[in-house]
Amino acid sequence: MGGAGWLFLFSVLMAAGLLFTMVFFIIMFSDLECDYINPIDLCNRLNQFVLPENIAHAFLTVLFLLSGQWIAFLLNLPLVLYNGNKIRNKNHMYDATEIFRTLSGHKKESFMKLGFYLLSFFYYLYRMIVALISESE
Amino acid sequence: MASPSQQLPPGWAAEWDPTTQRYLFTEPSTGRSQWEVPTPTPATLIDHGPSVSPPLPATHHTKRRQYAAGQTQAYYGTNDGLGDQYGTLGVQQQQHPAATAQLFTPGLAAEGGFAGQQQVPYYPPPQEPQYINAPGFGQEPAYHPPNAPIHHLTDQFGQMGMGQKPLHLQTTNLLTSPPDPRELIHPPPEIRLPPNACITSSPFANADPSYQRCTVNAIPTTSSLLNKSKIPLGLVITPYRTVKEGEQQVPVVTDTVIARCRRCRTYINPYVQFIDNGNRWRCCMCSMSNEVPQLFDWDQTRNQPGDRWARDELNHSVVEFVAPTEYMVRPPQPAVYVILIDVSHTAVQSGMVATATRTILENLDRIPNDDERTKVAIIAYDTSLYFFSMPPGTTESTMLVVSDVDDVFLPKPTDLLVNLTEARQSLESLLGRINDMFQDNHTIGSAIGPALQAGFKLMAPIGGKIIVLSSSLPNIGAGALKNREDLKVLGTSKESGLLQAASPFYKTFAIECSRAQVSVDMFLFSAAYQDVASLACLPHYTSGQTYFYPAFNAARSEDAIKFAHEFGEVLAMPIMLEAVMRVRASKGLRMASFHGNFFVRSTDLLAMPAVPTDQSYAIEIQIEDTLTQPFVVLQTAVLHTTCQGERRIRVITLALPTTSSLSEVFASADQVAIATLLANKAVERSLTHKLEDARDAVHQRLVEVLSSYKSSMTSAGAGANAQLAISENLKMLPVLVLGLLKNVGIRQSAQIPPDLRAYAQALLTSLPSQTLIPYIHPTFYSLHNMPPEAGTVGEQGVTLPTPLPLTSERLERHGLYLIEDGQTIFLWIGRDAVPRLVMDVFNLPNYEVLRGGKTTLPVLDNEFSQRVNAIIQKTREMRRGVYYPHLYVVKEDGEPPLRLWALSCLIQDRADVLPSYQQFIGQLKDKVNGANNY
Repeated sequence: MGGAGWLFLFSVLMAAGLLFTMVFFIIMFSDLECDYINPIDLCNRLNQFVLPENIAHAFLTVLFLLSGQWIAFLLNLPLVLYNGNKIRNKNHMYDATEIFRTLSGHKKESFMKLGFYLLSFFYYLYRMIVALISESE
Repeated sequence: MASPSQQLPPGWAAEWDPTTQRYLFTEPSTGRSQWEVPTPTPATLIDHGPSVSPPLPATHHTKRRQYAAGQTQAYYGTNDGLGDQYGTLGVQQQQHPAATAQLFTPGLAAEGGFAGQQQVPYYPPPQEPQYINAPGFGQEPAYHPPNAPIHHLTDQFGQMGMGQKPLHLQTTNLLTSPPDPRELIHPPPEIRLPPNACITSSPFANADPSYQRCTVNAIPTTSSLLNKSKIPLGLVITPYRTVKEGEQQVPVVTDTVIARCRRCRTYINPYVQFIDNGNRWRCCMCSMSNEVPQLFDWDQTRNQPGDRWARDELNHSVVEFVAPTEYMVRPPQPAVYVILIDVSHTAVQSGMVATATRTILENLDRIPNDDERTKVAIIAYDTSLYFFSMPPGTTESTMLVVSDVDDVFLPKPTDLLVNLTEARQSLESLLGRINDMFQDNHTIGSAIGPALQAGFKLMAPIGGKIIVLSSSLPNIGAGALKNREDLKVLGTSKESGLLQAASPFYKTFAIECSRAQVSVDMFLFSAAYQDVASLACLPHYTSGQTYFYPAFNAARSEDAIKFAHEFGEVLAMPIMLEAVMRVRASKGLRMASFHGNFFVRSTDLLAMPAVPTDQSYAIEIQIEDTLTQPFVVLQTAVLHTTCQGERRIRVITLALPTTSSLSEVFASADQVAIATLLANKAVERSLTHKLEDARDAVHQRLVEVLSSYKSSMTSAGAGANAQLAISENLKMLPVLVLGLLKNVGIRQSAQIPPDLRAYAQALLTSLPSQTLIPYIHPTFYSLHNMPPEAGTVGEQGVTLPTPLPLTSERLERHGLYLIEDGQTIFLWIGRDAVPRLVMDVFNLPNYEVLRGGKTTLPVLDNEFSQRVNAIIQKTREMRRGVYYPHLYVVKEDGEPPLRLWALSCLIQDRADVLPSYQQFIGQLKDKVNGANNY
């Protein structure tokens, strides 16, 4: 198995991990709506995952860049820029005092990311298989 | 109007005239016909308010129709009703100086030579002042004598035989009817519940507007109907308003029998239904059938069967239950006060420390301490922390200095937080000495964050109130802030950044405080930039309040008195501890968003560690499902611990009818509540977006309401129209919105320091309607020609003059005026004021030697001075809240900043880029017409 195969195998695993993070986020948000968790605990818990998630995603994008996977890189670039911009404006963390006002926005964002990771998961899977097939030929 | 025949008064008929394409209205019984929509007679009465005695001659009715047409040239100057007194007043006044220039003294004028000349035009009809002098608008009617205004109004309705009929919509044209400030004191439109909605006939069964008021008093049944009207639906709640002497106390149910719905947890109230021979009750919100508790009909004090119908919770909309142990997480805690005093060089030099310690000393007896459990701690701070240990049994205290502010620790585990009664003597001696101890302190800097952390550590196990007194920008330890005031940013879109917290410390610490049931009050004194916006975050999320005294200097006695008064009131305030508030509503309604000082702990639970009195909260309501019931109930419940150590639940129930008619929604709209809600929304929007957006949103909302009214309620429909129509009860909304747009909190200007803006925003989101309305729409009196009874003690305390419209056209060169917004009082004196007037009021020989600025008015041995003082005194006392307004004397040709400040209160004038009222109305009209033209 060559470089591309390994790379996409790794990406598939990463995308799966990110996917699960997003599912976790969404579950937590709906818990908040149903009053199973208070906003302080929610923010404390979710904020632990915000930066790791962003870093993991950025790391994956950098890997694509270094290995010259241009299409995969360009696909991921907008999200990296979006996350970077949020960190630069210091509003990437969830704020317990504002959470109820911004909840619908956060939920929407999490769903979008979920969809994006799902699509990229299948894309990486496809690319991995393609890479493996081309190698075996 | 789509089908005018539906809206006609009895006896009238509408005929379509094909030649003119209009409706012709005829009254067959009298043979009259006219093009205008006839107005029913009762409406004439409502229109003119209770000032007009009920039996109006029929001529008035016909005259009313000419009103609009004849008024264009006579804006403020017609010869009937209100215009009479305003218009001729001006004319009469101008004659005075000419005729009797050397003699004119206002005080004597009323009784002396001018009496005959003045009496006719100078003051309103004798019934009028009832409203103005009622102890504050929106109080429960039954507390007044029978001739009180609300009764008056309801009597009128009764006479008209309108009974339970829907409210009548009275259209008025904004272009021709100038705003009358007296309308703001009118009670909101009547709540007309269907018959038998309430199970008792108690007059207190529905909540008084001062406790809870809704923006519309008839809830639309569907959200599409609400959207069509464009009126924002919301609730304005002041659950813990002060009860003045003579008002009814909140009844307390002491037998701990608390009947609640099993499903929706609603408390039993006057709108439930008893079924099954009174053994069960049906919840008014979710229709669940519940069992009546066994002891509900048992009088536990006398141990005999009691009368169910006499129970307070079935007769009163505002009621307090004593809560049993199920409602407690822990035994009721004592009240705890930790006072953090800034003792840095600037604080000591400004006299703040001396004034503060003296005020605490004087108010030790007033601090709530009925159960003798109240605990107090005092921590002084500059760049270090100074703790005072007061061991029991001694009268001395020892000071412990902690200079490590990076990792705050308590120097001693005990004796720092002491029992107020036990340590009374040591506290007294300590308070007497603090100012001397730090007299020579030359340290500059403020470690407010570490001081807060120390105070928090001290009281965290119990909870309570931290009162912070601070004179400078915090610059050491946690929560240190930078001076970010940038004059270049003011007036630009980046300005809203300056209104947000600069350091996350203030938000995270606020959350910690909220968890530990600690509330923070901020008293800020700095002359320089202090970042009020960041500091105000703490009170905002912990249900405290921010008080701001810019450039405080105790050497000016006015500053010292103001601060001492307000600080004393805050200390003496009977706070509610460890409170949570929840608003429940009938099925189909949902509380969508919350505004005010609290922390939202779950979707509908507001956490308030200590509820101060007279703080208001606004809640937006969404209509989720179609409302099928004839009326809805909105119930606010505040579970709290009183400072006497009793766990209680305060329940406020408001029942409102539902309606499917748009005209009724408009007719029942409450302009005061709408303005309060809009103020809250505007401030929130200015923080999340930009100030510009906030102003646009408010303005846009008003345009939408007007457009919707025009297209659905007037005959003009979609086309352009020369009128700008709105219902009579919303007549003041445009001027209130204009006042809001011109308020320091959101005004368009590049001159307003961010500190003042942040403070104004804190006020806009926390003041109850009674104080907020004057804050956005100040009161303006003319004193030199006030009626003779003004300023004297009448039936309802000191009689106030009639408020004037807020325009500088009213200012005359020889006059004396009072402008007040609840936070400041301006005494405006014209440049041609006669020496006698100056002598009578200020005890100075003439206008030239009079100095403008903060003053205390002398009480002189003449009637006029005493009346002016009485009016100022009344102005300071009449509203709920701790505020003690400063009095500024403003000379017409005095220093420009003060003059401009006073003039900025006259919101109907053009100021800088902001439009005058006429221009504003003109803009609105263009927008409304434009909006419908596409």
